[in-house]
Amino acid sequence: MSDLEIWIVIVSLAIATALTRSGFWLVGHKVTIPPRVQEMLRYAPSCALAAIIAPDLLLDGGGTVQFDLGNARLIAGIASVAWFAWRRRMLETIIVGMLFFTALRLLPGLLHSYS
Amino acid sequence: MSDQDFATHDPAAWRDGFRTGLPTLFGIGAWGVVVGVAMIKSGLSIPQALGMTLLVFAGSAQLAALPLIAANAPIWVIFVTALVINLRFVIFSVLLAPHFASLPWHKRLGLGFVSGDISVALYLQRYPDPEPAPGKVSFLKGLLYPNCAAWQIGSIIGIFLGNAVPTEWGLGFAGTLAIVCILVPMVASMPALCGVLVAAAVSVLAADLPYKLGLLAAVVVGMVTAMVVEETGDRRRAKRKENGEANHV
Repeated sequence: MSDLEIWIVIVSLAIATALTRSGFWLVGHKVTIPPRVQEMLRYAPSCALAAIIAPDLLLDGGGTVQFDLGNARLIAGIASVAWFAWRRRMLETIIVGMLFFTALRLLPGLLHSYS
Repeated sequence: MSDQDFATHDPAAWRDGFRTGLPTLFGIGAWGVVVGVAMIKSGLSIPQALGMTLLVFAGSAQLAALPLIAANAPIWVIFVTALVINLRFVIFSVLLAPHFASLPWHKRLGLGFVSGDISVALYLQRYPDPEPAPGKVSFLKGLLYPNCAAWQIGSIIGIFLGNAVPTEWGLGFAGTLAIVCILVPMVASMPALCGVLVAAAVSVLAADLPYKLGLLAAVVVGMVTAMVVEETGDRRRAKRKENGEANHV
């Protein structure tokens, strides 16, 4: 792509972000959402967060599900869930999870490859 | 309450928002570094990468656009991909917008544009109801502005580090861990837990769908699951109550 085309892409990405993020803030008070849909939407943030992280925890570089001890991300993720459930400290949990992940990654010959 | 009270700067609420979001800033910053590095590694120049992080401010959309740019995909395809990845923000803004409907439009535009996944989740945990309350706007700003700053600082560091950070360090994983911490308290009820597990499964199974449609499918199927579980539970409780009363008679 030429320099100009890349800048057009960047501006179009900014427009896509503004439309989705701010669009409803601007016109939302003119739209009524049925109560049933509103009730359902309460579950949207947690489902979206789960959908964002699940592929990172479960898929390897080739897009195959790795559901075993060779998956460093999954093991480190489970360890962080346990740590957070116990301590309720987010920063601690991130550090523990990264230490787990790095330690597992450095163990030779055990892990699937992630590229 | 007047709109004045609602929007007046409340330093205590701002600090409260900042403290609530503080532990996530490390993960957000690390995530920013990864996206910054990824932009440079995919061949963007430093001004292009800086422009992208400052104008777009949507990590997952940026990451998805990079291979498409490298592959010379048509611009409309990249635009549609970004729209679909960001569709979850439409759902978030449906939840958040009623809280701030009385603010002037430019403030709504600005606050909406910087509202990220984690900030929205943390905000809704504190204020589930849309009724105006003092300090709400300041609390939201205390979440959003530091979150945005952490992201931008991380991205800019990533852009200038460029190729110096080895990919295998897996710095982006810190962002995933930050989300894990927010998610755990959110699944305290059976419907929420079921919804989250189903959403996770769908997102993995549908990961290959184009334009990241799997993410959207996961959110929709997860939401519906949670709702069905909730209603089944309600009905069972109602039935048990009915039977209990019948036994007393």
